[in-house]
Amino acid sequence: MNNIKIITEHWGKINPLKIEDYVSVGGYEALKEFIEKSDSEGALKEVKLSRLSGRGGAGFLTGVKWEMVSAQKGEKYFVCNLDESEPGTYKDRLIAENNPHLLLEGLVLSALTIGAKKSYIYLNGNYEKAKEVLARAILQAQERKFLGTKILSSKYSLEIEIFSGAGAYICGEETALLSSIEGNRGEPKMRPPYPTECGLFGKPTVVNNAETIASIPWIIQNGGKKYLKCATKLFVLGGSVKNMGVFEAPIATTIDEAITKLGGGMQDGKEFWFAQVGGASGGIYLEKELGGPILGSGAILVVDRTADIYDLLLSWTGFFRRESCGKCVPCREGTFRLHEIAERLVDGEIADRDKEALNDILWTLENTTFCPLGKFAATAVRNAIDKLGILK
Amino acid sequence: MQNNVTVEKILVSYDPEVQNLLPVLKKISAVFGFIGSKDAEIVAEYFGLSLAKICEVASFYDLIKTRKPANLEIKVCSSGDCALGSSAEIIQEIENYFRIKAGDEFNPKVRLEKNSCLGRCAEGPIMIVNGKVFEKVTVSSVHRILGEYV
Repeated sequence: MNNIKIITEHWGKINPLKIEDYVSVGGYEALKEFIEKSDSEGALKEVKLSRLSGRGGAGFLTGVKWEMVSAQKGEKYFVCNLDESEPGTYKDRLIAENNPHLLLEGLVLSALTIGAKKSYIYLNGNYEKAKEVLARAILQAQERKFLGTKILSSKYSLEIEIFSGAGAYICGEETALLSSIEGNRGEPKMRPPYPTECGLFGKPTVVNNAETIASIPWIIQNGGKKYLKCATKLFVLGGSVKNMGVFEAPIATTIDEAITKLGGGMQDGKEFWFAQVGGASGGIYLEKELGGPILGSGAILVVDRTADIYDLLLSWTGFFRRESCGKCVPCREGTFRLHEIAERLVDGEIADRDKEALNDILWTLENTTFCPLGKFAATAVRNAIDKLGILK
Repeated sequence: MQNNVTVEKILVSYDPEVQNLLPVLKKISAVFGFIGSKDAEIVAEYFGLSLAKICEVASFYDLIKTRKPANLEIKVCSSGDCALGSSAEIIQEIENYFRIKAGDEFNPKVRLEKNSCLGRCAEGPIMIVNGKVFEKVTVSSVHRILGEYV
Protein backbone atom coordinates (compact mmCIF):
# COMPACT_ATOMS: atom_id res chain seq x y z
CA MET A 1 0.00 0.00 0.00
CA ASN A 2 1.32 3.46 -0.78
CA ASN A 3 1.05 5.94 2.00
CA ILE A 4 -0.05 9.09 0.23
CA LYS A 5 -2.58 10.94 2.33
CA ILE A 6 -4.72 13.37 0.42
CA ILE A 7 -7.40 14.21 2.94
CA THR A 8 -6.07 13.17 6.33
CA GLU A 9 -2.51 14.51 5.80
CA HIS A 10 -2.79 17.32 8.36
CA TRP A 11 -5.34 15.85 10.75
CA GLY A 12 -4.30 16.33 14.35
CA LYS A 13 -1.22 18.31 13.30
CA ILE A 14 -2.87 21.64 12.62
CA ASN A 15 -5.38 23.53 14.72
CA PRO A 16 -8.71 23.39 12.87
CA LEU A 17 -9.72 26.69 14.45
CA LYS A 18 -6.78 28.60 12.97
CA ILE A 19 -6.58 29.45 9.29
CA GLU A 20 -2.86 30.36 9.71
CA ASP A 21 -2.10 26.72 10.47
CA TYR A 22 -3.71 25.55 7.26
CA VAL A 23 -2.04 28.28 5.19
CA SER A 24 1.36 27.44 6.71
CA VAL A 25 1.14 23.87 5.37
CA GLY A 26 0.38 25.08 1.85
CA GLY A 27 -3.34 25.61 2.27
CA TYR A 28 -5.23 27.70 -0.29
CA GLU A 29 -2.29 27.42 -2.70
CA ALA A 30 -4.47 25.49 -5.13
CA LEU A 31 -7.01 28.30 -4.99
CA LYS A 32 -4.32 30.94 -5.64
CA GLU A 33 -3.10 28.93 -8.60
CA PHE A 34 -6.64 28.63 -9.92
CA ILE A 35 -7.27 32.37 -9.56
CA GLU A 36 -3.96 33.28 -11.24
CA LYS A 37 -4.64 31.09 -14.23
CA SER A 38 -8.32 31.97 -14.16
CA ASP A 39 -8.93 28.79 -16.07
CA SER A 40 -12.02 26.90 -15.02
CA GLU A 41 -11.91 24.75 -18.14
CA GLY A 42 -8.42 23.57 -17.17
CA ALA A 43 -9.62 22.71 -13.68
CA LEU A 44 -12.56 20.79 -15.08
CA LYS A 45 -10.18 18.91 -17.38
CA GLU A 46 -7.99 17.86 -14.47
CA VAL A 47 -10.97 16.63 -12.46
CA LYS A 48 -12.18 14.62 -15.46
CA LEU A 49 -8.70 13.17 -15.94
CA SER A 50 -8.56 12.17 -12.28
CA ARG A 51 -11.68 10.03 -12.73
CA LEU A 52 -12.68 11.12 -9.23
CA SER A 53 -15.98 9.50 -8.37
CA GLY A 54 -18.58 10.43 -5.79
CA ARG A 55 -17.50 9.34 -2.32
CA GLY A 56 -20.97 9.32 -0.81
CA GLY A 57 -21.86 5.86 -2.02
CA ALA A 58 -23.26 6.06 -5.53
CA GLY A 59 -19.86 6.65 -7.14
CA PHE A 60 -20.92 8.85 -10.07
CA LEU A 61 -17.99 10.48 -11.91
CA THR A 62 -17.52 13.98 -10.52
CA GLY A 63 -16.05 15.47 -13.70
CA VAL A 64 -19.01 14.32 -15.77
CA LYS A 65 -21.46 15.83 -13.30
CA TRP A 66 -19.58 19.12 -13.27
CA GLU A 67 -19.41 19.29 -17.05
CA MET A 68 -23.18 19.02 -17.36
CA VAL A 69 -23.64 22.05 -15.12
CA SER A 70 -20.69 24.18 -16.22
CA ALA A 71 -21.94 24.01 -19.82
CA GLN A 72 -25.14 25.78 -18.79
CA LYS A 73 -25.47 29.53 -18.41
CA GLY A 74 -27.20 31.58 -15.74
CA GLU A 75 -27.64 31.05 -12.02
CA LYS A 76 -26.26 27.79 -10.59
CA TYR A 77 -25.71 26.27 -7.20
CA PHE A 78 -23.07 24.04 -5.71
CA VAL A 79 -24.12 21.98 -2.70
CA CYS A 80 -21.80 20.09 -0.38
CA ASN A 81 -23.53 17.02 1.00
CA LEU A 82 -22.46 16.64 4.61
CA ASP A 83 -25.67 15.01 5.78
CA GLU A 84 -23.93 11.71 6.35
CA SER A 85 -26.48 9.74 8.32
CA GLU A 86 -25.50 6.25 7.17
CA PRO A 87 -25.08 4.22 10.36
CA GLY A 88 -21.45 3.56 11.16
CA THR A 89 -20.16 6.35 8.91
CA TYR A 90 -18.58 9.51 10.28
CA LYS A 91 -15.74 10.30 7.89
CA ASP A 92 -17.26 13.56 6.64
CA ARG A 93 -17.78 14.81 10.19
CA LEU A 94 -14.08 14.27 10.86
CA ILE A 95 -13.13 16.11 7.66
CA ALA A 96 -15.11 19.13 8.86
CA GLU A 97 -13.84 18.94 12.42
CA ASN A 98 -10.16 18.23 11.70
CA ASN A 99 -9.45 20.32 8.64
CA PRO A 100 -12.41 22.55 7.73
CA HIS A 101 -10.33 24.78 5.45
CA LEU A 102 -9.45 21.87 3.18
CA LEU A 103 -13.17 21.35 2.66
CA LEU A 104 -13.75 25.07 2.12
CA GLU A 105 -10.88 25.35 -0.36
CA GLY A 106 -12.26 22.37 -2.26
CA LEU A 107 -15.71 23.89 -2.15
CA VAL A 108 -14.55 27.26 -3.50
CA LEU A 109 -12.58 25.57 -6.28
CA SER A 110 -15.51 23.33 -7.19
CA ALA A 111 -18.10 26.08 -7.17
CA LEU A 112 -15.95 28.47 -9.22
CA THR A 113 -15.15 25.74 -11.74
CA ILE A 114 -18.81 25.13 -12.52
CA GLY A 115 -19.58 28.86 -12.34
CA ALA A 116 -21.74 28.95 -9.21
CA LYS A 117 -21.91 32.08 -7.07
CA LYS A 118 -23.75 30.54 -4.17
CA SER A 119 -22.95 27.36 -2.34
CA TYR A 120 -24.60 25.51 0.50
CA ILE A 121 -23.10 23.04 2.94
CA TYR A 122 -25.93 20.72 3.95
CA LEU A 123 -24.81 19.65 7.39
CA ASN A 124 -26.21 16.81 9.48
CA GLY A 125 -28.44 18.41 12.13
CA ASN A 126 -26.70 16.48 14.89
CA TYR A 127 -23.21 17.71 14.01
CA GLU A 128 -23.07 20.64 16.45
CA LYS A 129 -19.31 20.74 16.78
CA ALA A 130 -18.69 20.51 13.04
CA LYS A 131 -21.12 23.39 12.58
CA GLU A 132 -19.19 25.64 14.94
CA VAL A 133 -15.84 24.74 13.38
CA LEU A 134 -17.11 25.32 9.84
CA ALA A 135 -18.86 28.60 10.69
CA ARG A 136 -15.65 29.90 12.19
CA ALA A 137 -13.60 28.71 9.22
CA ILE A 138 -15.96 30.50 6.81
CA LEU A 139 -15.49 33.80 8.69
CA GLN A 140 -11.71 33.40 8.65
CA ALA A 141 -11.68 32.59 4.94
CA GLN A 142 -13.82 35.67 4.24
CA GLU A 143 -11.39 37.89 6.15
CA ARG A 144 -8.52 36.63 4.04
CA LYS A 145 -10.51 37.05 0.83
CA PHE A 146 -10.52 33.35 -0.02
CA LEU A 147 -14.28 33.65 -0.01
CA GLY A 148 -16.92 36.32 -0.58
CA THR A 149 -16.98 39.02 -3.26
CA LYS A 150 -13.91 39.40 -5.47
CA ILE A 151 -11.94 36.43 -4.20
CA LEU A 152 -8.24 37.41 -3.99
CA SER A 153 -9.13 40.60 -5.92
CA SER A 154 -10.28 38.63 -8.97
CA LYS A 155 -13.57 38.59 -10.88
CA TYR A 156 -14.76 35.54 -8.94
CA SER A 157 -17.28 35.68 -6.09
CA LEU A 158 -18.78 32.99 -3.92
CA GLU A 159 -21.02 32.95 -0.91
CA ILE A 160 -21.08 29.83 1.27
CA GLU A 161 -23.95 29.14 3.65
CA ILE A 162 -24.25 26.33 6.16
CA PHE A 163 -27.68 24.75 6.04
CA SER A 164 -28.23 22.56 9.04
CA GLY A 165 -30.46 19.54 8.51
CA ALA A 166 -33.05 18.37 11.00
CA GLY A 167 -32.38 14.69 11.41
CA ALA A 168 -33.55 12.69 8.41
CA TYR A 169 -31.54 9.91 6.78
CA ILE A 170 -33.28 10.34 3.44
CA CYS A 171 -31.92 13.91 3.13
CA GLY A 172 -28.60 12.36 2.09
CA GLU A 173 -30.30 11.53 -1.23
CA GLU A 174 -29.61 14.55 -3.41
CA THR A 175 -33.13 15.41 -4.55
CA ALA A 176 -34.45 14.99 -0.99
CA LEU A 177 -31.62 17.18 0.27
CA LEU A 178 -32.57 19.93 -2.17
CA SER A 179 -36.25 19.63 -1.22
CA SER A 180 -35.20 20.10 2.37
CA ILE A 181 -33.30 23.35 1.65
CA GLU A 182 -36.33 24.60 -0.26
CA GLY A 183 -38.39 24.28 2.92
CA ASN A 184 -40.22 21.09 1.98
CA ARG A 185 -40.42 17.62 3.41
CA GLY A 186 -37.19 15.83 2.59
CA GLU A 187 -38.74 13.52 0.04
CA PRO A 188 -36.92 12.42 -3.11
CA LYS A 189 -38.16 13.70 -6.45
CA MET A 190 -38.62 11.92 -9.74
CA ARG A 191 -35.49 11.84 -11.89
CA PRO A 192 -35.13 13.00 -14.65
CA PRO A 193 -34.94 15.94 -14.55
CA TYR A 194 -31.68 15.51 -12.67
CA PRO A 195 -30.46 18.22 -10.28
CA THR A 196 -27.80 19.05 -12.88
CA GLU A 197 -30.61 20.43 -15.05
CA CYS A 198 -33.27 21.42 -12.55
CA GLY A 199 -31.98 21.42 -8.99
CA LEU A 200 -32.12 23.88 -6.15
CA PHE A 201 -34.86 26.48 -6.78
CA GLY A 202 -35.15 25.07 -10.29
CA LYS A 203 -31.56 26.01 -11.20
CA PRO A 204 -28.76 23.67 -12.34
CA THR A 205 -27.10 22.27 -9.23
CA VAL A 206 -24.18 20.03 -8.42
CA VAL A 207 -24.42 18.02 -5.21
CA ASN A 208 -21.16 16.43 -4.09
CA ASN A 209 -20.16 14.56 -0.98
CA ALA A 210 -17.78 16.33 1.41
CA GLU A 211 -15.04 13.75 0.89
CA THR A 212 -15.21 14.22 -2.88
CA ILE A 213 -14.86 17.99 -2.45
CA ALA A 214 -11.95 17.63 -0.01
CA SER A 215 -9.98 15.78 -2.72
CA ILE A 216 -10.26 18.67 -5.18
CA PRO A 217 -7.41 20.95 -3.93
CA TRP A 218 -4.93 18.08 -4.28
CA ILE A 219 -6.14 17.30 -7.80
CA ILE A 220 -5.86 20.95 -8.88
CA GLN A 221 -2.32 21.18 -7.48
CA ASN A 222 -0.94 17.82 -8.55
CA GLY A 223 -2.98 17.13 -11.64
CA GLY A 224 -5.62 14.58 -12.49
CA LYS A 225 -3.20 12.08 -13.99
CA LYS A 226 -1.29 11.77 -10.75
CA TYR A 227 -4.51 11.40 -8.76
CA LEU A 228 -5.62 8.58 -10.99
CA LYS A 229 -2.57 6.63 -9.85
CA CYS A 230 -2.87 7.25 -6.14
CA ALA A 231 -6.56 7.92 -5.49
CA THR A 232 -7.51 7.36 -1.88
CA LYS A 233 -10.71 6.85 0.04
CA LEU A 234 -11.64 7.18 3.68
CA PHE A 235 -12.72 3.97 5.37
CA VAL A 236 -14.54 3.75 8.66
CA LEU A 237 -13.84 0.65 10.70
CA GLY A 238 -16.07 -0.45 13.52
CA GLY A 239 -17.14 -3.49 15.46
CA SER A 240 -14.71 -6.15 16.61
CA VAL A 241 -11.48 -4.81 15.11
CA LYS A 242 -8.56 -3.68 17.26
CA ASN A 243 -8.40 -0.13 15.88
CA MET A 244 -11.72 1.56 15.26
CA GLY A 245 -11.90 4.82 13.43
CA VAL A 246 -11.36 6.53 10.10
CA PHE A 247 -8.43 5.57 7.87
CA GLU A 248 -7.27 6.84 4.51
CA ALA A 249 -6.06 4.19 2.10
CA PRO A 250 -5.84 3.55 -1.66
CA ILE A 251 -9.27 3.22 -3.20
CA ALA A 252 -8.56 -0.32 -4.38
CA THR A 253 -8.07 -1.58 -0.81
CA THR A 254 -9.92 -4.83 -0.29
CA ILE A 255 -12.14 -5.58 2.68
CA ASP A 256 -9.61 -8.06 3.98
CA GLU A 257 -6.71 -5.58 3.77
CA ALA A 258 -8.78 -2.94 5.53
CA ILE A 259 -9.58 -5.26 8.41
CA THR A 260 -6.08 -6.68 8.87
CA LYS A 261 -3.85 -3.74 7.94
CA LEU A 262 -5.92 -0.68 8.88
CA GLY A 263 -7.98 -2.17 11.64
CA GLY A 264 -5.13 -4.23 13.08
CA GLY A 265 -7.08 -7.48 12.80
CA MET A 266 -9.66 -8.91 15.15
CA GLN A 267 -9.73 -8.05 18.83
CA ASP A 268 -8.05 -10.67 20.98
CA GLY A 269 -10.08 -13.81 21.49
CA LYS A 270 -12.71 -12.88 18.90
CA GLU A 271 -13.41 -14.95 15.85
CA PHE A 272 -14.46 -13.31 12.57
CA TRP A 273 -18.02 -14.04 11.46
CA PHE A 274 -18.91 -11.55 8.77
CA ALA A 275 -18.41 -7.92 7.74
CA GLN A 276 -21.11 -5.52 6.75
CA VAL A 277 -19.77 -3.09 4.18
CA GLY A 278 -21.44 0.26 3.49
CA GLY A 279 -23.37 0.94 6.67
CA ALA A 280 -26.87 -0.33 7.41
CA SER A 281 -27.64 -0.33 3.70
CA GLY A 282 -24.62 -2.46 2.87
CA GLY A 283 -24.31 -6.14 2.14
CA ILE A 284 -22.89 -8.93 4.27
CA TYR A 285 -19.54 -10.51 3.37
CA LEU A 286 -18.37 -13.82 4.76
CA GLU A 287 -14.73 -14.72 5.29
CA LYS A 288 -14.30 -16.16 1.77
CA GLU A 289 -15.74 -13.02 0.14
CA LEU A 290 -13.37 -10.45 1.57
CA GLY A 291 -11.20 -10.09 -1.54
CA GLY A 292 -13.42 -7.51 -3.21
CA PRO A 293 -13.30 -3.71 -3.11
CA ILE A 294 -15.07 -1.70 -0.43
CA LEU A 295 -18.31 -0.37 -1.82
CA GLY A 296 -20.67 2.35 -0.71
CA SER A 297 -19.88 4.85 2.01
CA GLY A 298 -16.67 3.07 3.05
CA ALA A 299 -17.96 1.90 6.42
CA ILE A 300 -17.00 -1.60 7.52
CA LEU A 301 -18.70 -3.17 10.50
CA VAL A 302 -16.82 -6.26 11.61
CA VAL A 303 -18.97 -8.78 13.42
CA ASP A 304 -17.56 -11.61 15.50
CA ARG A 305 -19.11 -14.95 16.46
CA THR A 306 -20.31 -13.77 19.84
CA ALA A 307 -22.59 -11.14 18.32
CA ASP A 308 -26.35 -11.53 18.48
CA ILE A 309 -27.60 -11.53 14.90
CA TYR A 310 -31.11 -10.76 16.12
CA ASP A 311 -29.97 -7.48 17.67
CA LEU A 312 -28.50 -6.51 14.32
CA LEU A 313 -31.58 -7.65 12.42
CA LEU A 314 -33.81 -5.44 14.57
CA SER A 315 -31.30 -2.65 14.24
CA TRP A 316 -31.43 -2.75 10.41
CA THR A 317 -35.16 -3.16 10.03
CA GLY A 318 -35.93 -0.66 12.80
CA PHE A 319 -33.64 1.88 11.22
CA PHE A 320 -35.26 1.72 7.79
CA ARG A 321 -38.77 1.68 9.25
CA ARG A 322 -37.95 4.90 11.12
CA GLU A 323 -36.17 6.55 8.23
CA SER A 324 -38.46 5.63 5.33
CA CYS A 325 -39.83 9.00 4.23
CA GLY A 326 -43.30 7.65 3.53
CA LYS A 327 -43.60 8.95 -0.01
CA CYS A 328 -44.02 5.62 -1.77
CA VAL A 329 -46.15 2.75 -0.50
CA PRO A 330 -43.74 -0.17 -1.18
CA CYS A 331 -41.10 1.37 1.08
CA ARG A 332 -43.40 2.81 3.75
CA GLU A 333 -45.34 -0.43 4.19
CA GLY A 334 -42.51 -2.75 3.26
CA THR A 335 -40.07 -1.46 5.87
CA PHE A 336 -42.85 -1.48 8.48
CA ARG A 337 -43.84 -5.10 7.80
CA LEU A 338 -40.23 -6.16 7.52
CA HIS A 339 -39.60 -4.84 11.02
CA GLU A 340 -42.73 -6.55 12.35
CA ILE A 341 -41.67 -9.89 10.93
CA ALA A 342 -38.16 -9.40 12.29
CA GLU A 343 -39.66 -8.83 15.74
CA ARG A 344 -41.69 -12.02 15.47
CA LEU A 345 -38.60 -13.90 14.32
CA VAL A 346 -36.65 -12.64 17.31
CA ASP A 347 -39.49 -13.57 19.66
CA GLY A 348 -39.57 -17.06 18.15
CA GLU A 349 -43.12 -16.60 16.90
CA ILE A 350 -42.46 -16.65 13.20
CA ALA A 351 -45.02 -18.57 11.15
CA ASP A 352 -44.62 -20.17 7.71
CA ARG A 353 -46.90 -17.46 6.39
CA ASP A 354 -44.38 -14.87 7.57
CA LYS A 355 -41.57 -16.60 5.73
CA GLU A 356 -43.52 -16.46 2.46
CA ALA A 357 -44.50 -12.86 3.07
CA LEU A 358 -40.88 -12.03 3.81
CA ASN A 359 -39.86 -13.08 0.30
CA ASP A 360 -42.61 -10.99 -1.26
CA ILE A 361 -41.74 -7.97 0.82
CA LEU A 362 -38.04 -8.21 0.03
CA TRP A 363 -38.76 -8.55 -3.68
CA THR A 364 -41.09 -5.55 -3.58
CA LEU A 365 -38.51 -3.43 -1.75
CA GLU A 366 -35.78 -4.42 -4.18
CA ASN A 367 -37.74 -3.79 -7.33
CA THR A 368 -40.52 -1.28 -6.88
CA THR A 369 -39.52 1.52 -4.52
CA PHE A 370 -39.23 5.11 -5.70
CA CYS A 371 -35.67 5.71 -4.47
CA PRO A 372 -32.80 3.43 -3.44
CA LEU A 373 -33.73 3.51 0.27
CA GLY A 374 -36.13 0.61 -0.22
CA LYS A 375 -33.44 -1.45 -1.90
CA PHE A 376 -31.03 -0.66 0.93
CA ALA A 377 -33.58 -1.84 3.48
CA ALA A 378 -33.73 -5.25 1.80
CA THR A 379 -30.00 -5.80 1.21
CA ALA A 380 -28.77 -6.81 4.64
CA VAL A 381 -31.86 -8.84 5.50
CA ARG A 382 -31.71 -10.70 2.18
CA ASN A 383 -28.01 -11.43 2.80
CA ALA A 384 -28.67 -12.57 6.34
CA ILE A 385 -31.24 -15.06 5.07
CA ASP A 386 -29.09 -16.34 2.19
CA LYS A 387 -25.66 -16.32 3.82
CA LEU A 388 -26.28 -16.63 7.54
CA GLY A 389 -29.41 -18.77 7.35
CA ILE A 390 -31.37 -16.85 9.98
CA LEU A 391 -34.65 -18.45 8.94
CA LYS A 392 -33.47 -22.00 9.51
CA MET B 1 -35.37 29.44 28.18
CA GLN B 2 -35.70 33.19 28.43
CA ASN B 3 -39.16 34.37 29.33
CA ASN B 4 -39.28 37.22 26.90
CA VAL B 5 -38.58 35.11 23.81
CA THR B 6 -41.67 34.74 21.65
CA VAL B 7 -42.32 33.07 18.33
CA GLU B 8 -42.74 36.52 16.77
CA LYS B 9 -39.33 37.62 18.00
CA ILE B 10 -37.71 34.52 16.50
CA LEU B 11 -39.51 35.09 13.21
CA VAL B 12 -38.39 38.69 12.68
CA SER B 13 -34.76 37.62 12.68
CA TYR B 14 -35.43 35.59 9.51
CA ASP B 15 -36.65 36.75 6.10
CA PRO B 16 -39.89 35.06 5.03
CA GLU B 17 -38.20 32.99 2.33
CA VAL B 18 -38.71 29.27 1.88
CA GLN B 19 -35.11 28.32 2.64
CA ASN B 20 -35.58 29.84 6.09
CA LEU B 21 -38.59 27.69 6.95
CA LEU B 22 -36.65 24.70 8.24
CA PRO B 23 -34.20 26.80 10.32
CA VAL B 24 -37.15 28.71 11.83
CA LEU B 25 -39.04 25.55 12.75
CA LYS B 26 -35.90 24.03 14.25
CA LYS B 27 -35.25 27.16 16.27
CA ILE B 28 -38.80 27.35 17.64
CA SER B 29 -38.73 23.67 18.52
CA ALA B 30 -35.37 24.06 20.26
CA VAL B 31 -36.45 27.12 22.27
CA PHE B 32 -39.94 26.00 23.31
CA GLY B 33 -39.44 22.23 23.21
CA PHE B 34 -42.00 21.78 20.46
CA ILE B 35 -44.14 23.63 17.93
CA GLY B 36 -47.72 24.02 19.08
CA SER B 37 -50.66 24.62 16.74
CA LYS B 38 -50.80 28.33 17.64
CA ASP B 39 -47.11 28.70 16.82
CA ALA B 40 -47.59 26.87 13.53
CA GLU B 41 -50.37 29.31 12.60
CA ILE B 42 -48.13 32.30 13.29
CA VAL B 43 -45.34 30.78 11.19
CA ALA B 44 -47.77 30.03 8.35
CA GLU B 45 -48.95 33.62 8.30
CA TYR B 46 -45.42 35.03 8.39
CA PHE B 47 -44.24 32.90 5.46
CA GLY B 48 -47.51 33.26 3.56
CA LEU B 49 -47.89 29.49 3.45
CA SER B 50 -50.79 27.24 4.40
CA LEU B 51 -50.99 25.79 7.90
CA ALA B 52 -51.02 22.33 6.31
CA LYS B 53 -47.68 23.05 4.65
CA ILE B 54 -46.09 24.09 7.96
CA CYS B 55 -47.38 20.98 9.75
CA GLU B 56 -46.32 18.78 6.84
CA VAL B 57 -42.75 20.01 7.06
CA ALA B 58 -42.55 20.13 10.86
CA SER B 59 -43.81 16.59 11.32
CA PHE B 60 -41.24 15.16 8.88
CA TYR B 61 -38.03 15.88 10.74
CA ASP B 62 -36.72 14.19 13.87
CA LEU B 63 -35.23 17.35 15.35
CA ILE B 64 -38.51 19.24 15.12
CA LYS B 65 -41.09 18.21 17.70
CA THR B 66 -44.79 18.74 17.18
CA ARG B 67 -45.89 17.45 20.56
CA LYS B 68 -44.99 18.54 24.06
CA PRO B 69 -41.96 16.54 25.15
CA ALA B 70 -42.01 14.42 28.31
CA ASN B 71 -40.08 15.59 31.37
CA LEU B 72 -37.55 12.91 30.68
CA GLU B 73 -36.75 12.16 27.05
CA ILE B 74 -34.36 9.25 26.60
CA LYS B 75 -32.96 8.12 23.28
CA VAL B 76 -30.66 5.18 22.76
CA CYS B 77 -28.81 4.61 19.50
CA SER B 78 -29.72 1.25 18.01
CA SER B 79 -27.60 1.35 14.86
CA GLY B 80 -24.83 -1.07 13.86
CA ASP B 81 -21.93 -0.39 16.20
CA CYS B 82 -24.11 0.47 19.19
CA ALA B 83 -26.30 -2.59 18.59
CA LEU B 84 -23.18 -4.77 18.74
CA GLY B 85 -22.20 -2.90 21.88
CA SER B 86 -25.28 -4.09 23.77
CA SER B 87 -27.61 -1.16 23.15
CA ALA B 88 -30.49 -3.67 23.03
CA GLU B 89 -29.79 -4.65 26.65
CA ILE B 90 -29.51 -1.02 27.66
CA ILE B 91 -32.91 -0.34 26.12
CA GLN B 92 -34.36 -3.34 27.96
CA GLU B 93 -32.86 -2.15 31.23
CA ILE B 94 -34.49 1.27 30.84
CA GLU B 95 -37.79 -0.32 29.82
CA ASN B 96 -37.82 -2.40 32.99
CA TYR B 97 -36.69 0.44 35.18
CA PHE B 98 -39.49 2.81 34.14
CA ARG B 99 -41.98 0.10 33.12
CA ILE B 100 -42.31 1.57 29.65
CA LYS B 101 -41.73 0.33 26.12
CA ALA B 102 -39.45 2.02 23.60
CA GLY B 103 -41.58 4.05 21.21
CA ASP B 104 -44.67 4.14 23.46
CA GLU B 105 -46.14 7.49 24.39
CA PHE B 106 -48.42 6.40 27.24
CA ASN B 107 -46.29 7.75 30.04
CA PRO B 108 -46.38 11.57 30.02
CA LYS B 109 -43.31 11.79 32.25
CA VAL B 110 -40.83 9.46 30.56
CA ARG B 111 -40.36 8.59 26.94
CA LEU B 112 -37.85 6.19 25.48
CA GLU B 113 -36.97 6.08 21.80
CA LYS B 114 -34.56 4.23 19.63
CA ASN B 115 -32.37 6.65 17.77
CA SER B 116 -30.58 6.47 14.44
CA CYS B 117 -26.83 6.81 14.14
CA LEU B 118 -25.27 10.06 15.38
CA GLY B 119 -21.88 9.31 13.83
CA ARG B 120 -20.11 8.72 17.13
CA CYS B 121 -19.76 5.00 16.60
CA ALA B 122 -16.28 4.67 18.10
CA GLU B 123 -17.64 6.07 21.39
CA GLY B 124 -20.77 3.92 21.49
CA PRO B 125 -23.19 2.85 22.81
CA ILE B 126 -24.70 6.35 22.75
CA MET B 127 -27.55 7.52 24.95
CA ILE B 128 -29.17 10.95 24.87
CA VAL B 129 -31.04 12.21 27.92
CA ASN B 130 -32.93 15.49 27.50
CA GLY B 131 -30.55 16.49 24.72
CA LYS B 132 -27.36 15.62 26.58
CA VAL B 133 -25.21 12.96 24.91
CA PHE B 134 -23.63 10.18 26.96
CA GLU B 135 -20.93 7.98 25.45
CA LYS B 136 -19.79 4.42 26.17
CA VAL B 137 -22.93 3.67 28.14
CA THR B 138 -23.19 0.26 29.80
CA VAL B 139 -26.08 -1.61 31.36
CA SER B 140 -24.78 -0.67 34.81
CA SER B 141 -23.91 2.97 34.09
CA VAL B 142 -27.46 3.57 32.85
CA HIS B 143 -28.75 3.65 36.44
CA ARG B 144 -26.16 6.15 37.55
CA ILE B 145 -26.88 8.45 34.60
CA LEU B 146 -30.65 8.27 34.96
CA GLY B 147 -30.35 8.68 38.72
CA GLU B 148 -29.30 12.28 38.14
CA TYR B 149 -32.56 12.99 36.36
CA VAL B 150 -35.12 11.11 38.43
